[in-house]
Amino acid sequence: MRSRTSVWSHECFPTACPDALALAQCRHSCDSCAVGRWMYKYRLEEVPLEVLRQRESKWLDMLNNWDKWMAKKHKKIRLRCQKGIPPSLRGRAWQYLSGGKVKLQQNPGKFDELDMSPGDSKWLDVIERDLHRQFPFHEMFVSRGGHGQQDLFRVLKAYTLYRPEEGYCQAQAPIAAVLLMHMPAEVPPGPGQAGGGQGTPSSKALCLSHPQQAFWCLVQICEKYLPGYYSEKLEAIQLDGEILFSLLQKVSPVAHKHLSRQKIDPLLYMTEWFMCAFARTLPWSSVLRVWDMFFCEGVKIIFRVGLVLLKHALGSPEKLKACQGQYETIERLRSLSPKIMQEAFLVQEVIELPVTERQIEREHLIQLRRWQETRGELQCCSPPRLHGAKAILEAEPGPRPTLQPSPSIRLPPDAPLPGSKSKPKPPKQVPKEQQKQEKASGQLDKTPKPGQAKMAIAGGDACPPQDVPRRTQSTRTHPLRTQLPRFQPTTAPRRAWCPRRVRTPTCNPGISGLQGGVSTHLHGSRTDTFQGLPTP
Amino acid sequence: MEAIWLYQFRLIVIGDSTVGKSCLIRRFTEGRFAQVSDPTVGIEPGKRIKLQIWDTAGQERFRSITRAYYRNSVGGLLLFDITNRRSFQNVHEWLEETKVHVQPYQIVFVLVGHKCDLDTQRQVTRHEAEKLAAAYGMKYIETSARDAINVEKAFTDLTKDIYELVKRGDISIQEGWEGVKSGFVPNVVHSSEEVVKSERRCLC
Repeated sequence: MRSRTSVWSHECFPTACPDALALAQCRHSCDSCAVGRWMYKYRLEEVPLEVLRQRESKWLDMLNNWDKWMAKKHKKIRLRCQKGIPPSLRGRAWQYLSGGKVKLQQNPGKFDELDMSPGDSKWLDVIERDLHRQFPFHEMFVSRGGHGQQDLFRVLKAYTLYRPEEGYCQAQAPIAAVLLMHMPAEVPPGPGQAGGGQGTPSSKALCLSHPQQAFWCLVQICEKYLPGYYSEKLEAIQLDGEILFSLLQKVSPVAHKHLSRQKIDPLLYMTEWFMCAFARTLPWSSVLRVWDMFFCEGVKIIFRVGLVLLKHALGSPEKLKACQGQYETIERLRSLSPKIMQEAFLVQEVIELPVTERQIEREHLIQLRRWQETRGELQCCSPPRLHGAKAILEAEPGPRPTLQPSPSIRLPPDAPLPGSKSKPKPPKQVPKEQQKQEKASGQLDKTPKPGQAKMAIAGGDACPPQDVPRRTQSTRTHPLRTQLPRFQPTTAPRRAWCPRRVRTPTCNPGISGLQGGVSTHLHGSRTDTFQGLPTP
Repeated sequence: MEAIWLYQFRLIVIGDSTVGKSCLIRRFTEGRFAQVSDPTVGIEPGKRIKLQIWDTAGQERFRSITRAYYRNSVGGLLLFDITNRRSFQNVHEWLEETKVHVQPYQIVFVLVGHKCDLDTQRQVTRHEAEKLAAAYGMKYIETSARDAINVEKAFTDLTKDIYELVKRGDISIQEGWEGVKSGFVPNVVHSSEEVVKSERRCLC
């Protein structure tokens, strides 16, 4: 028996020739055969079932003792995320890592409340038009008005009510869709196959009304992992474009030089990459592995993936021979070679790439200063970015009531600053954490950045009011631990929804929602002969 | 290897979300060439113009990003959906938006009423669209990417108009502006510009 994931890979490209996989994903048919064989080879090296089972039980243990693991063995969690979360537990693991689970516990009934509200028609209209354009070949979203699309609507609508000042951004739809695929509603009577399965009656208790799990994960992504990405003006993504480009200089000077000589604005290729966390760029198996790491380690992973792709697409003089014009270069980045996007290869490269949170934060400050000098203050103040599960957990209202500062200036809990996160040593106890925070604020004092201070304060504003009183309540005993259903690892992963074919063949705009959605695309080029041109 | 081209025009396609911008472009670029990555295959000798077509996001939020690209375009297709009245009402806003951000250059626009295969659901009459287009000095054309109606024509008509303006000298190639480029040796920008400037003279 094969695991569900490998079954999928055959289902989704129902052709005898394994190269069909590459063909479907790569528009350069010329070399697709060789690449296809290469990919096929890798497909066969999938996780053996025994290993998968072992991983499942390890993950179950972690999820059942999450606080302890996060506090004491965070490195191990990171390592296991890098190896890939077992598909059957992926959705739950993402909720734990992102803190979406905690949010849900802190705000019981909040989603339902939002769900009941009618919503602002201004947003509903836009959302509705995007519903059928998200992963239109995925069985969950394939039917118009079906469960998948309905849930997607509910999640996105709820977000516009939760953050009315932000509303809806088209790039949120694919993010929410991927989350929903992993946190679906309780399997409806219809497709019974791989189902929520035998031995997990208690999962019913956990899965209250499911879109809410996806909703809180979406909230965490929008507010903790990628704050400001989806806000009006899209300033955060523009800043990250500059950061990415600057980091590229060290990672691949050749690619950097080429892109600057061609005057290719990072926004031309990275907007969709970053805003959709590569959900619309990479092959499905790679998307999942990247997200596993992203939920654990934060935006650093997104930067690294971007850098790896750039490095391997444009990083050597030979590669650049084929893209000497601006158009050719952008085209290369828009239809990346399947080889460099392949799961095992990409993940390994990402893990090995020495780009740290500290570097990103340092670059962030540099680019922010540059922005302020050239364009003035940021118009949308987002809360500071938190680099992954650990940082999010620490910023959560943890066991440190003593930290409540003087009433006049209330630093929001998610304000710990860039500097603090870059400290590699994971704090083990409360006092240490305190020290760290004090240090962090010291650092803030040293670099008096008006923007930064504002950001921190804005972080407080960004917290929903209901968070505040709960803060003290949900302390040491994480609510998570209490009501975990006993989950038996099954041979087939629990997931009922498996992507049939998740990406449109050309992977991009067009039919799919984001298309228009995410960025300015250099979409096509054509050289035409105009025989009929009038001559003077 | 890149085929030889005489001019390169950069066109931008704008309009509300879901009016069908990408489908139109896809029909135009991929409907004809199987391999998008190699767009110049099969070109016969003649006057060649290379089109670089930039697709944009329709949602207002993305304008802070997309507007940077108006400036470097010489032509634009402004799309609305004939079955969606609001997208037509927003045409005015799109024009204002581009006018502000295109300075000091100008964009030659054509107004495109898209999805004309859905005539039964029409919410915008041809007459009123033509009137609006005329008021702004644009041409109006109705297209359907699904049924491949007028897709070629929309792009070629616009290209011809721009070509005329370039020939007349109303639009000129400028250093640091990507709207119109003259080609020949497309990869060596500076020297090629010289080459083709003289080339252009021969044509007139």
